[in-house]
Order: sequence, then C-alpha cells, then structure tokens
Amino acid sequence: MPYIRGDYSLVKVYIDGIEVEVPPSYTILQAVNKIGVKIPTLCYFGEIYREASCRLCLVELENGKLVPACAYPIQDNLKVYTNTPRVRMTRRVVLELILAIHRIRCQSCPRKGGFCELLKLCNEYGVEGIPVCAECPLMGNDCFLTKGIPCLGPLTVAGCNAQCIIEGNACMGCRGPVTRRDVVEEAFKLYLKYNIPMSEVLSRMKMFWSSSPFYDHLTSLFSQFSLKYQGERHG
Amino acid sequence: MSSWTLLDRCCNTCWHSIDYPCRNYIRCRIEGPLCHDVSECRDKRLRRLKEIKYGKYGFKIKVPMASCTIAAGSKEVYKAVIDEVKSRGIRADISITGCMGLCFIDPWIELIKEGMPPAIYANVKPEDIPKIINEYLNGSVSSAFALRHRTGKAKDEDKVPLLEEIPAWGKQVRWVSRNCGIVNPESLEEYIAYGGYRGLERALKMKPEEVIEEVKKAGLRGRGGAGFPTWLKWKICRDQVSDVKYVIANADEGDPGAFMNRLLAESDPFRIIEGLTIAAYAIGAKQGFIFVRVEKPLMAERLSKAVEEARKYGLLGDNILGKGFSFNIEVILSAGAFVCGEETAMIAAIEGRTSPRQRPPYPATKGLWGKPTIINNVETLAHVSLILAEGWKEFAKYGTEKSKGTKMFCVTGAVKYTGAYEVPIGTTIKTLVEEIAGGVKEGRKIKAVQIGGPSGGCIPADLLDIPIDYHTLQSAGAIMGSGGIVVIDDTSCMVDVARYFTAFTVVESCGKCIPCRVGMKILYDIMTRITEGKGTEEDLEILEKLGNIVKNASLCALGGTAPNPILSTLRYFKDEYLAHIRDKKCPAKVCRKLIEYVIDESKCIGCGTCYRICSASAITKTPQGKYRIDPKKCIRCGQCYSTCPVNAIYKR
Amino acid sequence: MDTTTSNVIVKRIVENIGYDRRHLIRILQEIQREYGYLPRETLEEVSRILHIPLSDVLTVATFYHQFTLESPGLFTIWVCMGTACHLKGNAENYDYLRTILGLKEGEKTTKDKLFTVEKARCFGCCSLAPVIVVTGPGIRDLYGYVTPRDINKIIAKYRSLGLKKLKER
Repeated sequence: MPYIRGDYSLVKVYIDGIEVEVPPSYTILQAVNKIGVKIPTLCYFGEIYREASCRLCLVELENGKLVPACAYPIQDNLKVYTNTPRVRMTRRVVLELILAIHRIRCQSCPRKGGFCELLKLCNEYGVEGIPVCAECPLMGNDCFLTKGIPCLGPLTVAGCNAQCIIEGNACMGCRGPVTRRDVVEEAFKLYLKYNIPMSEVLSRMKMFWSSSPFYDHLTSLFSQFSLKYQGERHG
Repeated sequence: MSSWTLLDRCCNTCWHSIDYPCRNYIRCRIEGPLCHDVSECRDKRLRRLKEIKYGKYGFKIKVPMASCTIAAGSKEVYKAVIDEVKSRGIRADISITGCMGLCFIDPWIELIKEGMPPAIYANVKPEDIPKIINEYLNGSVSSAFALRHRTGKAKDEDKVPLLEEIPAWGKQVRWVSRNCGIVNPESLEEYIAYGGYRGLERALKMKPEEVIEEVKKAGLRGRGGAGFPTWLKWKICRDQVSDVKYVIANADEGDPGAFMNRLLAESDPFRIIEGLTIAAYAIGAKQGFIFVRVEKPLMAERLSKAVEEARKYGLLGDNILGKGFSFNIEVILSAGAFVCGEETAMIAAIEGRTSPRQRPPYPATKGLWGKPTIINNVETLAHVSLILAEGWKEFAKYGTEKSKGTKMFCVTGAVKYTGAYEVPIGTTIKTLVEEIAGGVKEGRKIKAVQIGGPSGGCIPADLLDIPIDYHTLQSAGAIMGSGGIVVIDDTSCMVDVARYFTAFTVVESCGKCIPCRVGMKILYDIMTRITEGKGTEEDLEILEKLGNIVKNASLCALGGTAPNPILSTLRYFKDEYLAHIRDKKCPAKVCRKLIEYVIDESKCIGCGTCYRICSASAITKTPQGKYRIDPKKCIRCGQCYSTCPVNAIYKR
Repeated sequence: MDTTTSNVIVKRIVENIGYDRRHLIRILQEIQREYGYLPRETLEEVSRILHIPLSDVLTVATFYHQFTLESPGLFTIWVCMGTACHLKGNAENYDYLRTILGLKEGEKTTKDKLFTVEKARCFGCCSLAPVIVVTGPGIRDLYGYVTPRDINKIIAKYRSLGLKKLKER
C-alpha cells in the first residue's frame, strides 16, 4: 500500500501519457515538476499552503474528474492529463473569475515589472482586461507619459508585450480598449498626474477606437471621471 | 407500585451493575430473568411492561412534544390535559412523546386504555380536551382522527379509520421511524421496552469485522445525501492503523425544508446513540461526537439528555455490556453554517476552525485532528441500530437492486399533507407526493418538485413517475440529498425558485475557493437581472457554461452542487426563462419587478381597507370614491391583495 | 465598554469550558449569550488568554452565522429563509418588515434600538410556513402562517412590551 511511511519503493504515474516514477508521498504537482511540465498555480506555497483554494492547478483524470494538482496525492498507475481543452477552458474561466473581483492597478502595483503571476497567466490564456502598462516596465521601457507624451497604454488591452514602446512609439491601442471602470479610472488619474492634455487622449481614442463597440462606453466613463476629478465635463 | 423500572435488578440474584455488567442485560430487560427461574421476577417484568404501555392505572394520555408540535401549540394542550386530569381526579398517566411526522394533524394527542382501541385525535385545542377525555372514558371514539388497532368494543369504532387505512400513513414503511410518536424520547426504559439496544447487544457479541459484514450484506448507503456505501467507509477506517479514532453523528441538517433528522433526534434519540455506539465498536473508536445545528435547540437538548441517561445505565462509558469496549459521546452545537454539513467543514468546526478541506485525504483516513474519522448521518445510524437488531435481511427486504432499505422524506411546499414520510427507496415521486402527501391543493396544478434542497434540482410534473433512487435522480438532474422534497405549484416561478437557492448558496459559501465564491455570485447577479426583466439570451449561455465550471472546479460539494437548481430549471423550464427575457413577463406572476398590483375599480366597494393597510402609502382615493394603486410607490408586498374583502385586487 | 469587568467575565467563561482552541466556538457562544453580541474587547481578551491570533478568532466569529459583532436591538426578529417558507411568501414578509420598521439598505437595527431584523436558516417547522421567530430577553416565540397583517400585530406587541422594559431600566 503506497501510504505506509518508510516505504521507499517508487510508483509509476502517467503524465500526459509519459511514464514517471515518483515516491508514493508525492502530489501530482511534484510529479509533474519532475519532468518539467508546467502547471499554473497561484495559491500554492509549498508546505506552508497546499489548500487548493485557487483551483488554477486543476488537471484531468482518466474518468474526467478535475482535481487540484498541488494537493492530490498520486496513486499507483494514476493517469493524469494536464493540458486537455477542458483543462485549458477551466483555467481560463478561473482566471476570468479572479479578474472579476481583482482591483487592477498595474501602473502603481508593486508587482509591476515582471513579478505578477496573474498577468503572465492572463496573457498566456488569452484573458483580457489588464492594460499594457503592466507589461511595459517588464520590457525595460521608459514611460512616455513621464515625458509628457500621450500614450494609449493605460487604456489598451495587454498581450503584445509593449512592442511599439520598445520601438520608440507611443501605444496606438491596436489590441482594443479595456472596458473595466476601475482600470479606466486609473488611466484617467495617470493622465492627470503627468499633465497629459485630455483633448489629446480623446482625439487618439477617437482615431483608433471610434469604430469599436466600446467607444461610447469609454467616452461616457471619461465624462464621468472628468466631472469627478476636474469638476467639469470634457469632450 | 414501587418506582421499580425495567432497568433495575429484579432481585438480589441478579449481579448486574455498571462496573460488572451482564452481557445479556438488554435481552433480560424484556425476556428476563435469564439467569434464574423465579416467577415473581418474571411477573414483575411483565407488569412493568404493561405499565409502560397502559400506564399505572390502565389509562395513558400521550402528548407529543417536538419542535413542530410545540410550535403548533402542544404545550398548551399538555397543560390542559394536566388540568383536566387533576380537576376531575382521573386516574391517568400523562406522558410526552415525539412527532409522528404527520404535520398536518399537529397538535395531536393519543388516548390509550386497556380494552379500548388506542385513539389519535387531530388538531386538538386546549378547550377540546375535557370533551375528548370524557368521550373516550365513556367508551366512544367518535371524535378520533384514527385508531392504531381495533378492539371491537368501542362505540362508533367503525366510523373511525385505522391509521394504516389513511394513505398518508398506510403507504409508509415505518422502519427507522417506528418509535416516533410512540415512545417517550426522554425515557431509556421505554426505548428498551420497545426493542431498543438489541442491536448493540448483538453487535458486541460479534467481532467488529462481522458487524461491518452485516452492514455490507444489508447494502446500507449513507442517508445524508451522497449515498456512499456505509460498510466501505467503515472498513477503510477500520483498516487504518491509529491509536485514536473518532466517530461523528451528522445532525447538522441544513437543507431548508428537511426535518427528518430533527424528527428522529427529538422523538427517538436513543436510537441514534445506539447506532453511533455500534459504529464506534465497528471501527475501534473510543470517542464520539454528535454535531447538532444551533437553529434546532430541542434536538440538542434531547440528544444531550439521552447521552446522560445512557451513561447513567452503563450503555456509554467504560466496559459497555461487559465487552471491554469503552465509548463516550460529546454533543457539540454548531454556530450556524450550512457548509458544516460537509464532512471536512464539520471537522473544522469541531476543531475550532472554519472552512472545508480538499479531499483526498478523506476523513476516514485522516480526519478530526488528523485521526481516522467516520462521519455518518443520523438516519444512517438509526438504520444501523435496526440492521444489527433485526438482521440484514429485514432491512434488505425493501428498496431496489442498487439501494436497499427505506428512507425518510420530508414533503413540504404546496401539498395538502405536509409531513415526514418513510418509504422504501424506489417508490415513485408520484406516490409520495400524490398518494401520501395528498397532492396539491384544490384549484392548483403541480408544476415541479425540488429534491435535494439547494444542492438538488427540479423535476418537472411530467416526470414524476421516476422511482426515487440515487442514480435515477442523478440522471434526471437532481440528487437524493438528505430527503427534502418541496412541491412547487403553478403559483411559483421557477426562475425565482432557482434564484432563491442560488442566493442561499452565495451566503453559505465559505469563500475559500474561487469558482464557488466568485462564480456563484456572478450566477446570482445574472439571475437577479433576469427576474428584473433585464436579462439577455446570452445570459442563458453564460449560466450554462459558468454553472458547469463551478460544478466541476469547486473545492467541496457545496460548490460542486450549488449550480444544480439553475442547471435543472434551465433544462426543463427554459420557456419561463425566455418569457422573463424576451417578453419581460413572469408567467407565474411572482417576480416583483415584473408584476403590478391593480385594483379592479368595477369590483371595488370603496371600503378603504387597502388604503389603511398600505405601508408604502401607494394607494389613493379617486374622485369616484374608489381606490387606485400607484405602481411607482407600490412595493409589491401583497398585503392589499390578501386583505381586500371583495378580492378586487389582481396581479398582472 | 469596561474591559476590567468584561475580562473577568471572559475569564470565567473560558475557565468553565476549557483553555483549548477546540472550545473556541463554544466560548464565543457563551460570550454572545452574556452580551447579546460579541464585543470587540471580549474577542481581544479571548485571543490573549487562549493564545490564538486575533485574526483567527475573528475568522471564526465572522464565518458562523450565529455570531454578530454589532449590538442588537432589544428583540431580534428572525425571518425563516427556508424553501417552504420562501414559497409561502416569507420573502415578501421580510421586505415588508424592513419597510414598516424604516430600515434602509445595509441597516439591520431600528434607530430606537428596539428591533433587529435577521434572516434565519430553516427552523425545521416547514409545515407552519411561513415562520417568524422573535427572540429577546428570556423569550423565544415562534409564529407560523405569518401574513403581513400578523407582522403588524407582532411589531405592535413587542413594541409595547419593549417600551415597558426600557422604562423599567
């Protein structure tokens, strides 16, 4: 029986069809790490926290059940699939759920510049809602806003790794606008902070996004914020 | 008559005591004396057994004192009985008893006199007592609701039906609930007199492995909802090597609309304790807990008292019945959390923490304080006591191929006869709802039946021929759950019902994992928008997709079953959803933002009752002297609708 | 709140029940029985004498529904949110109750501190749906088949009872 302590024999498990031999006290995550396959985790913290709360590390068993890799103990002959369409979809939805309650303030977040696991995962799984500003410092760019140049980065969906800024051009919003109120609000405050004329921002928005279904929503948010922060309506 | 009870020694030949117990103590209470043949001792026992049945004077009055009967007024009835007996100097024994499960006759009383048929009187008011007692003592049972058996000697006996002739009773199989409404729940003596503790006595004469084998042959499945084979859970725990093991009785019946555990615990608490003791013996535990919901205080009180009594007579404690087996029980009150019905959350609550844990490891291997723990539902334990007492064949007589035995179901909602009914598994929903519970009230149509509480699903009216079994309900989109069945008629809106259950789960979610905490809230927001007429067809797709993800990705069974009400109503009642979305109408006229209360001025008599009653000041008088409701101010409480003396107000 | 007296009371409760973490829920139940709610000072004292981080004590105090950290009114009105009660109209009763007591969004207790309105989980008396329970000093009264009209009567009854009690104090 693989649960008895002191049993040093290894057991066979099958990760995505690949055979691996691991000690019987291992979890799926430890087994998977042994062969270099990656499973995303957010709440896992080794021995300190293995409570499987975030549900991001879910993998699929032969019988279709989804189990958390960080906490599920391996058994002899266990067959695990880490990258099926169902697993990917579940990971995507979990990330979307996290974003739904997450306060996105990448521009001022201490995890800026490559320390944000959530951003990395969102980009990898195509979950949108985080602005380019979160990626820009990661690329080692100087912020155009600090130089007084209007850049649409704070309002644009991340995922391009801030290519244009690397090349020396302010962001033109080609991946489309963010739509969340709190993100737009942060962007607005950022523009105010660096004294970027709102008219410049609005004209760029009109140029690149007037055909977007979210354009009206964005401009209405801007009016609200200008009333809130500047006491008068713009555009 | 001395105050000698069955539990005492019959004479000095008997050497039984708590410290040196006799192995045949239980059997001897009724069939004894077993170790010596003395007719006085035998007669003493028989006399006492008769006393228990008919009282000291041959006349006994039983008044039920369970939460539901007390709420219906049985305390006042009890007082009235005492007053009447005292004032008229009647020689009678007045005893309390538990609930029969026929809630629609609460409060009831039973009169038993030697020679007369035991008669049950329904919906009794304190002022009826003198008449009832008088009539019975004069040999007539004309006001009785039912008789337990006939004697042919009472007047008007043929006019009163037998209890088993009433469908609500006769179609049941009262296996675990056999003592409910018959014994005094506070008396260990009565429990034993009616056959109690025979199960434990027999179990202690077997090896623990044999006890597990008996439960295996019986095919008992957990009655708490999941239906896991009880013997397997016990075996896994038994096989664990550990110095300490625990057993826990799950009395945290949290499903709204389910009260069979409460009924069992308040009416026959010793049965649960016996079952728990047998379970402890089978797996090798010395300490047990009974985890009771704080919202049901009488349940906790009865169980605590029963534990005390059992301890007093050596049925708990050291060297129980001379087998060298020691076991103690602690009754623990929860602090109010539905999730505590889940095994790992219950363990957390006993440990003084919160939140469920990821399984595996399962509690049977690593549970309370890391030790192997068995958690069984109260009803399961009640079955255990009877399986050991009567043998597995008696249990397996009933039920289906895959699920043997009987189960208690609480049928509530829009039915005529609300109550807790015990039937063999495999009985169709139709039999339960229509034949036993009497079907829906006059003028209404049955729409659906919700089984399994907030974790279950709705079965539409045209599928009621489904036999109630674990797998049949699952493929229909519901779950057996703890056995709560809520009947829904055409005055209820299915979207509103689904939203109601979702609201419940959102509040009760422990918040540990993301799918349940965030996902259920999003589902709830979408359901709210739909009931307010702001839903879109895209919302239905999201409900389906997100619902399935929450189901598969949640950490514990709460999140794993929470989307069931939404998913099952989407499956069978999509038209109601579409009506809310496309037509912005609620077909059942329930969702408040989509209905209006209107006064039909042609019927209005201008009495002004509605005007006076309206707390939102939304009703004004027209120049013609009639009344009119302002839909903008109206809060749709329905007060005017229910109080209008000429029914001039309608919903649209 | 006078912490010297409250600390003495907390110590007495913990002594009676036990100095172990596993008794935490029971200890909090006793404190709530004494005060009608869980005052912050008592939680701090429990954390101190049981050697449990205050955050853990608060986790338990906020997780379970029985506990409240706000001082309640003289009477608490529990509206059952069980299925049978909901179907028979307790949702309307709940809103109606809040309206006639003048409670706004997010408020639970009336300004005159007479009534607190709470949602209760199922009492298990589904045959009497819809059910409302009123608890207060020395009372626990259950009402069945409650209509908005009955609510008016119930409020009036406890209001006059409560005003009398407040006068006595």
